[in-house]
Amino acid sequence: MNIIKDKRNIRIRVFSFIVLTILTLFFVAPYIWMLLNSFKSTKEILLHPTNILPEEFTIKSYQKVLFDSPFVYWFRNSLIVTVVDTVVILFTSSIIGFVLSKYKFKLNKFCFFLILATMMMPTTAVMIPNFLIISKLGWYDKIISLIVPTFCNAFGIFLCKQFIDDLPKELFESAMLDNASDLKIFYRIVIPAIKPALGSLAIFTFLGIWNDYQTPLIYLNSTKNMTLPLALSFFNSQHLSDLSATMAAAALIMVPSTVVFLIFQKYFIKGIAMTGMK
Amino acid sequence: MKNKKFVYGVMIPTLLHMTVFIIAPIFIGLFISFWNYNPLSSDNSFIGLENFIKLLSDADFWKATKNTFFFVFVTVFLNIGLSLMIAQLISYFKSNKVRSFFRMIFFLPCIAPMVASAVVFNRSIFPTTTGLLNMFIKALGLSPINWLGDQKVIMFSLIAYTIWVDIGYNIILFSAGIDGIPNHIYEAADLDNTSEWRKFTKMTLPLLSRTMQFVVVQTLISHFQMFAQFSVMITKDGPNNSGLVLSRYIYKQAFEYKNMGYASAVSFVLFIIIMIFSLIEHRLNKSDWEY
Repeated sequence: MNIIKDKRNIRIRVFSFIVLTILTLFFVAPYIWMLLNSFKSTKEILLHPTNILPEEFTIKSYQKVLFDSPFVYWFRNSLIVTVVDTVVILFTSSIIGFVLSKYKFKLNKFCFFLILATMMMPTTAVMIPNFLIISKLGWYDKIISLIVPTFCNAFGIFLCKQFIDDLPKELFESAMLDNASDLKIFYRIVIPAIKPALGSLAIFTFLGIWNDYQTPLIYLNSTKNMTLPLALSFFNSQHLSDLSATMAAAALIMVPSTVVFLIFQKYFIKGIAMTGMK
Repeated sequence: MKNKKFVYGVMIPTLLHMTVFIIAPIFIGLFISFWNYNPLSSDNSFIGLENFIKLLSDADFWKATKNTFFFVFVTVFLNIGLSLMIAQLISYFKSNKVRSFFRMIFFLPCIAPMVASAVVFNRSIFPTTTGLLNMFIKALGLSPINWLGDQKVIMFSLIAYTIWVDIGYNIILFSAGIDGIPNHIYEAADLDNTSEWRKFTKMTLPLLSRTMQFVVVQTLISHFQMFAQFSVMITKDGPNNSGLVLSRYIYKQAFEYKNMGYASAVSFVLFIIIMIFSLIEHRLNKSDWEY
């Protein structure tokens, strides 16, 4: 009977392998096609669309994106917004989560309810009032409009609070005996204890902000102030006749996040499974 | 612990920030939906429910609503079915390396900015003469399809792209769910030589119901708000508004025509739709159980 079962297991695995490999080809093909097209000249793409490999390998499109457009500005803007937001969100999420988890005060329950409620807020539904507030503050077309409003991240606070709730009491007792200050307890005890949560929160915040298109589309206007995703859609509309350059620009934007993913792959997968985050 | 200074020091700035950037917008949004608000005009008057009444007879709004529901339900249905199947196939491999290799491949599209992959699909995959998809179809001897220009096809192209770009999350969630089912549960079935399909439908699926609830609702909520592909991958919402969805309609009314009052009324409708699904999720989360 074991032999029958083993045979069946092998058959299932071979079948799975074939199906998954075919699907893999479908999932990877757009990437490969993008890269191949970015190394062809636009003329070649239009004249010989069925050429798979570039007849004449050229990096002209990459030069065009990097040197003839404000790519450096776009990259810098994206980097500033993403790094500042991620660092601040990690700090605010953990300290607010700590306060909500370990301190008793009148409005504690109310605050937590408020945060849970805002977690459900669909961003699309508030894009108009958000825009009006940003304009009133004088932040329209400035990258500060992408930075400050995201400082309190309801999901981050929720995640940190859940993790801090689970920390054992003993962890805090010795610190209380030493009469350590609240801040000291926070960064000596709480931060190290919730590192795994902070790790996945960092990855997802970073990606979410790096990839965001809708917010910059509404808040930013001038070419030089754009972040990368917005800049790409702008670049695309400016280079409708230059397919190769658009593919090079898309590749340049996709590559950094893909490399980050390939390096931190394990943490990503764990992070999603752990938090159910999107 | 009790230290008022510390608590206030943290919570007062938090509440202030949340009031300005999260709570106020909700009320401002509702408020201006009762106004004839246009930032460029000097005549902004209170018009009561007029915006909402206008919605009822707005053909574009109904088209956008219909398209949105069609897009969301078809995409989510296919997404769940496919991701469940892929997660199950992945689970048949014993080696962790093979498992994480496949999970990584399917997750790749989730990593890149959606704008970038939408541009790639728009310019290199879907075009009628130079696109990769039609080259493939022609090689099979079939006639090429106008993926983004035919109003009967465009929504399916958007759905196919959206599944490609978003399925990785659910594959990982289902994989984690399947891995979490203890092995001994299958032992009796293995002794009886039960078929894999029966094991999957009679054991795995029911045991996955918690993951399933979470995944379905989360995917529904996120898909109602999809925006990037509708504004980047297709031009002007497709022929005859065949690719117009609510999020795009809100954006168009508010930022292209500057009808912010009217657009706020549309936002409110979308808000209610999403809230209903959020509340369902909240309900479902309350029921707890274990193996």
